[in-house]
Amino acid sequence: MDIHADEGEFVSIVGPSGAGKSTLIRVLGGFVKPTEGEVRLHGKKVVRPTPKIVLVHQSIVTFPWMTALDNVKLGMKYMKLPPEKEDELARRYLEMVGLSGFENFYSKQLSGGMRQRVAIARALVAQPEVLLMDEPFAHLDELTAEGLRNEIYSILFNTDSPLKAVIMVSHNLDEVVKLSDRIYVLNGSPSTVVKEVKVNLERPRNPMSEEFRAIVEELYAALTPVKKRVPE
Amino acid sequence: MAAPDLVDQVLTYSLASLASVARDWVAIFLSVVTGWFLAYAALKSKVFENVYVSVLETLESVPVISFFPVVLVAFVYGIGGRLGVELAVLFLIFTATTWNIWMGQYQAFKTVPNDVIEVAENLRFTFWDKMLKIYIPYSIPRIASNMLPSFADALFYITVSEVFSVGNSQFSVFGIGTIVANLTAQGDYVDVGIALAVLAVVVVVNVFAITKFADYAVSRYGFETEAVKVARRGRVRLGLTVRAGATLSKAARVARLVPLRGRGYVMLEEEGEKGRKFEIPTKVTYSLLAVVFVGLIIYGFYVNWGTVETALPYTGQILLGLAYDYLRVAVISLVAFAIAIFGGYFLVTHPRVEKPVIAFLQTFSAFPAPAYFPILFLATLPLVKSVFGPLTNEFYVLLLGFISTFYYIFYEVWLGIKNIPKPVWELMDNLNLGFFTRLRKIVLPGLLPYIVTGISSTVNSAWGGLAIGEFWPSIAQGQNLQVSHGLMLYFALWDEQGAVNLLAWGSFVFGVIVVIYSVLFTRKLMDLARKKYIMEESVYLI
Repeated sequence: MDIHADEGEFVSIVGPSGAGKSTLIRVLGGFVKPTEGEVRLHGKKVVRPTPKIVLVHQSIVTFPWMTALDNVKLGMKYMKLPPEKEDELARRYLEMVGLSGFENFYSKQLSGGMRQRVAIARALVAQPEVLLMDEPFAHLDELTAEGLRNEIYSILFNTDSPLKAVIMVSHNLDEVVKLSDRIYVLNGSPSTVVKEVKVNLERPRNPMSEEFRAIVEELYAALTPVKKRVPE
Repeated sequence: MAAPDLVDQVLTYSLASLASVARDWVAIFLSVVTGWFLAYAALKSKVFENVYVSVLETLESVPVISFFPVVLVAFVYGIGGRLGVELAVLFLIFTATTWNIWMGQYQAFKTVPNDVIEVAENLRFTFWDKMLKIYIPYSIPRIASNMLPSFADALFYITVSEVFSVGNSQFSVFGIGTIVANLTAQGDYVDVGIALAVLAVVVVVNVFAITKFADYAVSRYGFETEAVKVARRGRVRLGLTVRAGATLSKAARVARLVPLRGRGYVMLEEEGEKGRKFEIPTKVTYSLLAVVFVGLIIYGFYVNWGTVETALPYTGQILLGLAYDYLRVAVISLVAFAIAIFGGYFLVTHPRVEKPVIAFLQTFSAFPAPAYFPILFLATLPLVKSVFGPLTNEFYVLLLGFISTFYYIFYEVWLGIKNIPKPVWELMDNLNLGFFTRLRKIVLPGLLPYIVTGISSTVNSAWGGLAIGEFWPSIAQGQNLQVSHGLMLYFALWDEQGAVNLLAWGSFVFGVIVVIYSVLFTRKLMDLARKKYIMEESVYLI
């Protein structure tokens, strides 16, 4: 398979369970070494995890012994900034994700949606060029998830952010159509890209519109039937 | 040495090793069976539970030597003869094996998932139904995980348990501990080597069997409780399970049985008259049992007051000795902790090395240090003397304490690091966090419950090493190993003099200090750890 993301693009990968979406995103982040092929960022080979490509996990990772502010500061440790600068940046990014006023709250005092915002702020404060998101809304209730989906695009491509591209893995077809500029559909065994769909709808997108539904249908058609390996 | 002699020797040593190991297994079996009923009693009565857990926590920390006066009176002089001595030895080994098994069973019973309890209540299970179909199977993985530490503890005490003396009377039973002690006393080090080699084979076979059983127990009886609500009715302080962490290859799954703060807390109310009729008398009975138990302790103290009174002037000396020993324990714990953190992290991040090293450590931890320590002492004495000079004996006591306790904290920390969720590792890699930033910001805070448990186990187990090392006459080639101050030294000296009153008073003061230490330090730290520092909660799953 050949997957790429251009500058300013929000790319999604969809596929049935077991298609290897999460493995693929870890390959893209340098967490898993591919048995074949390679990952390149600006032409340079990615061989290990780097803050230039940050992963936001499906299982939201925030540390219960740290405040929201400290959790975000973790993203800057590799830069070795002075404490005042760290503090200033962490506060700015918390504000960017809508958590101004919650700086001193511990994880347990925050809802799932707020924790995911903290995780996103921590990812962005690391100044990545590519953000990888592995089903980032999967552990949130539908209302919270929808709220975050509506804001995420403007948060990510905020003018302050050096972010160049986002690659998200999901199995929620409405979600990917709502957010993406381009969608790769994985299917079959072994998995391959069976379809590439460009989404040129204007933002904010209306999930009830005919064009929106048509793209969802197109994706659905590419995903069904789920092609399973037949034992030899 | 003629070949037939060697064969005879190997045969004798094999039989002796089997006899010693058989005593261990009898003690473990007795612990397991009694532990089930005691754990059930603790479930049924709050009063019994509080007394039981407090007593267990104290007894886990008291070295085997503290039980000598009780043993002497009850078995050696009371029953008398070979049977009395044999029972005394069995009891001494029992004291080394049982507390962590009982604690593990209690914790297993307390952490049976709510859903399972509800099914049992719903279907009106009888006492035996509940025990045989729920509580006992549910406790098997914890028993399995406690079996190796118990086995190792019992073997550790083998040299002091199988041969012991009070005043001019010496008592011994047939076993490898007795043989090694006699051979060492005679300076017959070649034969000591052969005996140890035979024991090593027996230990390896037993450790292998225990690890296989643990694997089987976890796969057959292990509950996946991550998403299951757990009943936490009353006191569950799993993190404090002494030695429970010193466990086996599938230990990570066993460790997941840890009940986390914030998970389910369900108190099932008895419904219907039938349930109430059964429940109330049971609660009263167990509460009475607890009161009687405490009453017996107070009565025993009252009756023996005349004897204890003569020991009161020694209280200052006892406290001074205890201060010395706590200092030794602190040094041992700090060194063990530092090695555990760096070693544990290294092993988890190097899976190829991890498996053989853990297997080796498991086997080595079960091999009784007091049996080979004289040889180690003899081989290293000139070098150690040249380096440590007047502190040579102090070094050896610390070394024996370290050997006897290092594994507990190591396994605990290793387990904790192994249980760090994968997304956390990925995040640390992703953000390019350096080794010390990882330790300071993430690994150490997240491991606090494991660290408290590990330090607690280390502190408790170190006493055993000190009890043997602080006064070891004729350890090898007529050399004595003895320190200037230390409660364990005083115990040994009073034991030699037959000063039962001093031993009893010393043990009592020691027990009180252990409880105070537990209340002020361990419990507070564990409460803090469980409030905030839980690595598993860094991953949000609904």
